[in-house]
Amino acid sequence: MRVQLFATCLGDLLFPDAVVDAEALLRAGGHEVEFPRAQVCCGQPAFNSGHRAAARRVARTFVKAFSPESPVVTPSGSCATMAAHYLPELVGCEPFDVWELSAFLDTHGGELPARNEGRRVAYHDSCHMLRELGIADAPRRLLERSGAELVPLPRPDLCCGFGGTFSVRQPEVSLAMADDKLGGAAGADALVTADPGCLMHLRGRSGRTTELPVVHLATALARGVA
Amino acid sequence: VTELAQRRFREFARGSLADGHMQAALDLSTARLRSHRLEAWHALPDAQGLRQRAHDARMRVIDDLDAHVAQFREALEARGGKTFFARTAEEASAYVVEVCREADAKLVAKSKSMVSEEIALNHALEAAGIRPVETDLGEYIMQLAGGHPAHIIAPAIEKTSEDISELLSAVEGEHVPPQLEPLAQAARRQLRQVFLDADVGVTGANFGVSETGSICLVTNEGNGRLVSALPRVHVALMGMERLVASLADLAVLLQLLARSATGQRLSSYTTLLTGPRRPGEQDGPEELHVVILDNGRSGLVGGRYREMLACIRCGACLNVCPVYRKAGGGAYGPVYSGPMGAVLLPLLVGLEQAPVHPHASSLCGSCTEACPVKIPLHELLLELRRDLVEQAVAPWPERAAFTLWSLAWSSPLGYRLSTALARLGQPLAGALGPGRTWARGRRLPRLGRRFRDR
Repeated sequence: MRVQLFATCLGDLLFPDAVVDAEALLRAGGHEVEFPRAQVCCGQPAFNSGHRAAARRVARTFVKAFSPESPVVTPSGSCATMAAHYLPELVGCEPFDVWELSAFLDTHGGELPARNEGRRVAYHDSCHMLRELGIADAPRRLLERSGAELVPLPRPDLCCGFGGTFSVRQPEVSLAMADDKLGGAAGADALVTADPGCLMHLRGRSGRTTELPVVHLATALARGVA
Repeated sequence: VTELAQRRFREFARGSLADGHMQAALDLSTARLRSHRLEAWHALPDAQGLRQRAHDARMRVIDDLDAHVAQFREALEARGGKTFFARTAEEASAYVVEVCREADAKLVAKSKSMVSEEIALNHALEAAGIRPVETDLGEYIMQLAGGHPAHIIAPAIEKTSEDISELLSAVEGEHVPPQLEPLAQAARRQLRQVFLDADVGVTGANFGVSETGSICLVTNEGNGRLVSALPRVHVALMGMERLVASLADLAVLLQLLARSATGQRLSSYTTLLTGPRRPGEQDGPEELHVVILDNGRSGLVGGRYREMLACIRCGACLNVCPVYRKAGGGAYGPVYSGPMGAVLLPLLVGLEQAPVHPHASSLCGSCTEACPVKIPLHELLLELRRDLVEQAVAPWPERAAFTLWSLAWSSPLGYRLSTALARLGQPLAGALGPGRTWARGRRLPRLGRRFRDR
C-alpha cells in the first residue's frame, strides 16, 4: 500500500533515527513510503497550550503537505491524536486517514525480525495513544513478535509527566512522575515508548538518574533495544 | 497575580514532594480508592450505559436550571422547609450566621459539605462567636490540624495514622494509639457530646430532588443523620446545580456516586430528607433551611463549560490524577482540588485569579475516563487554556513566543531556516528560559541532522 510518512517535528529534529526505522519497518511490510517534503508540524505544541491561532497557522502546513487519499502513518501517538481528532476541526478540513505506526504495522505489517530475543522490555503507554486512540495492545503485540519478554509496569495508566509545556511549567511534579515511571521499569533492559514527547522527557531524565535506556518503538522493532 | 498563583502551586507541590509521609499516604489512598472504584465498575452489567444515563439526567437539569430551582423551592416550602437562594458566598454564610443567631446557637455541629468550605462558613461562624465542629472524621481531623480538606471525599487523605494519633491525643489529654479502632473510638467519644449539645446542625446535600423538594445525604459514618436529626435547626447547603429532576433520576446517580467515590455499591447511610419534622413525628428538626448557592454557577448554564455543572463530587478524577497524587490537594487552594478543582475554580473565581489551574495537568485524560457523569475534564482544561490566551491572561512573552514560532513554522522554508538557526544556538539552550528549567533535571535533547536532510 502507498503510505505517507509524517515524521513529526520532534521526530524530524530530535529523533531522526526513529523515523528512519519507522520508514524501514513500513517498507519491510511491503509498503511504498512517500515522505511529503512540505510537512512541518501538526500544531500540537501550541494547541495544547491554548494558542489556537498559532496552532491553526502551523496545522495548515499539514493540510497542504498531506493528501486525504492515502494513509498518513506517524511514529507518534500524540501527533496521530492531534492530526486525527483535533486538526480537522481546528483548520476546517476533511479528516485524514491517520495511523499511529504500531497500529498500522499490527494491521498491515509483515514479518518482524527477532531483534529482541532474550530481552526484557517495559512498554510505556503514551496518554493520548492509550486513551484517545485506544491503542494499547498493538505495540505490545509487536514487541512480543520481535522476541521481547514484556515486563509489566506497576501503573501503566499513569502519565510519564511530559505533557508538553507542563514539563517546564510544573518541573518538579513532572520529574517526580518521570521518576515513578523509570522506577517501575527498573527490572527491564529498556523502556520503550511510541511517542517522541515521552521519549524526550524520559530519556532526558534517565540520562540524569538511572541510565535506563529509553527507546522509540520503531527503533526497538527495527534494530532491537540494545 | 499570574506569577503569584504559579509560585503558590509550585511551592506547595515542592513541599508535598519533599514530604515522604504525605507522598506515601497520597499514593496508597488514591491507588486504593481507584482500584475499589474499578472493581465496583467492572461488576456493573452496563457501566457505560449507566454513565450515559447519569450524564443525560444531569444535563436535563443543567439545561433548565432556573425552572428546577424554582420547582425544588416550591416543593420544599410546601413541606414546611425554608429555602434561601444565595447569589454569592458572602450571602450564603451571612444567612447561615443569621439563622444561628435567631436560634441563639453557641455550638454548630457540621457534617461534610464542600459548599461550606466554598463559602468559608467556619470562619464566618467563629467571627460571630459561634463554635463550629466538624463531625465527619476526616474533616474533624483537618479542623484539629487547622487545615482545609485535601480531597473532596477523603479530607484527611494526606494524614498518616501517626499524624491523626497526635491530633486526637491532644484533645483526649492522653495518648491514643495510632491504630484504626482506638482512633475511631477516641473521635467518637469526642464528637458524641457535640451531636447532643449542638443547637444547629449544618450539612451539605449530595442531591436535591426537584419534584419532591427532598435532599439526599450520602455518608459512611452516620454523622450526617445525627447532625440533621438531633439539633433543633437543620441547615443544608447545596450548590444550585446539585438538583435531579426525580427520584428515578436520583436512583441512577446513587448507583454511580458511591461506586465512583469509594467503590461501595451504596454508602453506609443514604438519607432522604423531605421537610422538617411534622406534627406527630418523633424525629427531625423543628426548622429546616436549604441554602441554594449560585456563586458563579448560573453563569455557566448554556455556555461551553456547562458540563462542569454535572459534577457530583465523587472524587474519582482526583484518585486517578497523576498531578494531584504528587502535588497534593492544598496546591489547588483551600476548597476544590484535582482535575475537577482545576476546571471549577477558574470558572467560579475567574481566570485572572486562577491562571495556573488550567495548566496544572499534563492533559493525560485519566480524569475524563474516570468521570462517572462523562464530563470531558481534560478538554475543558484545554478550553480554559484557550481562554487564558484569548483573554490575554497568559503572560505576553508566552503569547509572543508562540506567535513567532507559528509564523516561522507556517511554511516549510521558515521551518528549515528557523530550525537551522536553532541548531546554531543550541549551546545556549540550557542557559535560558524553558530550556534552563528543562535542563535542571533532564538532559537536553540534541538537534542533529534532520530526517528530511538524509
